[in-house]
Amino acid sequence: MSPRITLRVPSQLVYLGVPDAVLMELASDLACEQKLIDELSTSVIEACTNAMEHGNGLHEEKQVEVHFDVGNDEIRVTVYDEGPGFDFAGWQPPTDIMRERGRGILIMREFSDTLVFGRAEDGRFRVRLTKNLHPQA
Amino acid sequence: MRIKERKRDGIAILELSGKLMGGPDAEAFDETLKTLIHEGVRNFIISLEKVNWVNSTGLGILIQGYSTVKKNGGDLKLLKVSSRIENIFMVSKLFTVFESYDNEDEAVRSFS
Repeated sequence: MSPRITLRVPSQLVYLGVPDAVLMELASDLACEQKLIDELSTSVIEACTNAMEHGNGLHEEKQVEVHFDVGNDEIRVTVYDEGPGFDFAGWQPPTDIMRERGRGILIMREFSDTLVFGRAEDGRFRVRLTKNLHPQA
Repeated sequence: MRIKERKRDGIAILELSGKLMGGPDAEAFDETLKTLIHEGVRNFIISLEKVNWVNSTGLGILIQGYSTVKKNGGDLKLLKVSSRIENIFMVSKLFTVFESYDNEDEAVRSFS
């Protein structure tokens, strides 16, 4: 793995493009399909949206922290917020296609190879996403 | 997100650019639709050609817009959806709702 890149952004939606830009840059020299990077970045944007809105209540002074761990075969992204967390065990995918909200976790689940919710040692809520860059056909 | 408006054959074509996400984007898009509906426009084409990415809240904005247009007797269709965004629509099953076109002429003809 390359050295970890750590990003901190205020919890305002206007900064959602920053983790996307960072991931695109970090992945730019990797020998993998762009589609996989697009999917992972879409998942990361969802994780950061949830962290900003539900975790940190869109309070600008609260930070969302993102760790990027990039290897030749896998990228792992971990998103931290200061909120109460989320019980994924009770989550069900939305059944109403026309529902205006509630698709974030579905998108994260579909576009990541692994998706783990939990608590970091310092008490912050953590979402870890990984993407295999060379999936088996 | 920026919205550029123009009309063609009575259809409003809204060219979105930037990032489609929640917050002020929702209000701006909703306001634009309602103003045009108030002016008598019923049918809309939303071009996503210059949209970098959409998050789930951005999808909600399009769904809300679609519902608003339908309630007013019209239709809303998409134009030039990138493969990145198309993938999100597939996962969300929203391509069963939104018609999408790669060519503006075809999109306009679809309303006749």
